[in-house]
Amino acid sequence: MTDEPRTERAATRLGSNHPSIALEADFEGRLSAGTKETVFALRDLSVHYAEKPAVKHVTMDIRRNEITALIGPSGCGKSTLIRCLNRMNDLIPSARVEGELLYHGEDLYGPKVDPVQVRKLIGMVFQKPNPFPKSIYDNIAFGPRTLGMKGDMDEIVERALRSAALWDEVKDRLGDNAYGMSGGQQQRLCIARCIAVEPDVILMDEPCSALDPISTGKIEDLMMDLKEDYSIVIVTHNMQQAARVSDRTAFLIVELTADETNRWGEIVEYDDTEKIFTNPSDQRTEDYVTGKVG
Amino acid sequence: MTDSTRVHYQEELQNLEARALEGLDMVAAQLDRAAEAGEHQDTELAELVVASDDVIDGRYLEIHQSILTLLATQAPVATDLRLISALLHLIKAIERMGDQCVNIGKLIPIAGHEPPADERIIKDIRTMGQQVRAQISQAKRAFETRDVEMARDLVHQDDLVDDLNKEIFRIALEIGDDHDRREWAMTMILVARAIERIGDNTVDIGEQVAFIVTGLFREFQDASHPGEPVPQP
Repeated sequence: MTDEPRTERAATRLGSNHPSIALEADFEGRLSAGTKETVFALRDLSVHYAEKPAVKHVTMDIRRNEITALIGPSGCGKSTLIRCLNRMNDLIPSARVEGELLYHGEDLYGPKVDPVQVRKLIGMVFQKPNPFPKSIYDNIAFGPRTLGMKGDMDEIVERALRSAALWDEVKDRLGDNAYGMSGGQQQRLCIARCIAVEPDVILMDEPCSALDPISTGKIEDLMMDLKEDYSIVIVTHNMQQAARVSDRTAFLIVELTADETNRWGEIVEYDDTEKIFTNPSDQRTEDYVTGKVG
Repeated sequence: MTDSTRVHYQEELQNLEARALEGLDMVAAQLDRAAEAGEHQDTELAELVVASDDVIDGRYLEIHQSILTLLATQAPVATDLRLISALLHLIKAIERMGDQCVNIGKLIPIAGHEPPADERIIKDIRTMGQQVRAQISQAKRAFETRDVEMARDLVHQDDLVDDLNKEIFRIALEIGDDHDRREWAMTMILVARAIERIGDNTVDIGEQVAFIVTGLFREFQDASHPGEPVPQP
């Protein structure tokens, strides 16, 4: 990785001359110790699939070098929301995003922003590990090669695997097919693949739901290490996981129209994780995290 | 989000709280017995107070183990977590209150069959016992109903107990030169001290009520800085 400030790098790589990003970069070194820089600023964000709402009126700031968890019952729009953060919803023709989503101060859905560039800066790890049917080495090298990244590829691969706490387990079999790895190793490989292209943010959509407790523990340890260098947003159904790893937690709820024909998610409470799990402000959060309602 | 879930867990938690609060009834019964034993110099009843503490200790161990099991198996959070933390404090306070009743029970035979009693001290100890007995009931009600104001009022109630405790000490200092009378007065100071500590425990329980409701722990009174205002949640 370069020593270049991450915000500046993000601005440069997004291919934007937007003044707010430059401003952000200018101020980077002067942020006071107690101030957390905002990576994503969501303002009244709503997503519809065709005419059906999926999430509505989401307003929240996601901070840099923190783990932000999105929790809530099925159908509350957690996955829809996280997919907005790297424009994955663009791949669904009927999806429509309204409101404002600023990434380091720049409109992520602005007309000049290239979604492919966005996904390089804002990587995603999915519920099920999805390695390519290639060698471990080629899985990691694929992204940097495609992007034409400069530097020694062996070093890039090793650095990514080390960052994903996988190097010691695979260093002697880098040529083996990735499909031969365990589920937990495959998921860490996917994280390494994400890291290899030097992103700014890592999005994780239920990254441990297909893993056993040991592998889950390794991913959680890895997340704690990775937040030193990256900002992480995680969707999880496992509330204890949210409580264990995240700094801030957003709780979403399912809202229904009176005739129950439409349902969508809305944020009920967004606060420090400790607050959410020890003394939440909203009774609906209390009822959900204590398991009184599901 | 309307269907209730984790019904068994909620029942388990409610049952645990009820079992813990029953410990306060046990302490109240012990205090009643100790007061009666003291009133009539009934050493047999005093021995029964000492022996009966095993029941309170047993309840303490039972609640403690149940809390560990709940923590390990149910991962309680939010209000449930605060309640469980408060129950740990509550049951420890009950165990200590039980021990103070034992202390009183052990002191009664020391006072002797027909002690050279001072009526003023006897009267003050009786009043202290009645006051603390009422505080135990108030602490239980405040806990059951999550009534912070009722819990906070325990501080004012306990002021009376503290004043009587100091009064007994003052009378004992001036009780005269008779050896047996002074020895009896010293024993009564210890009895009063035990009752006063039970009163303090009721205030501790009140503080836990405020913690459950507000999520913030603040001592109602700071013993190391008496007289100074304590910030309230």
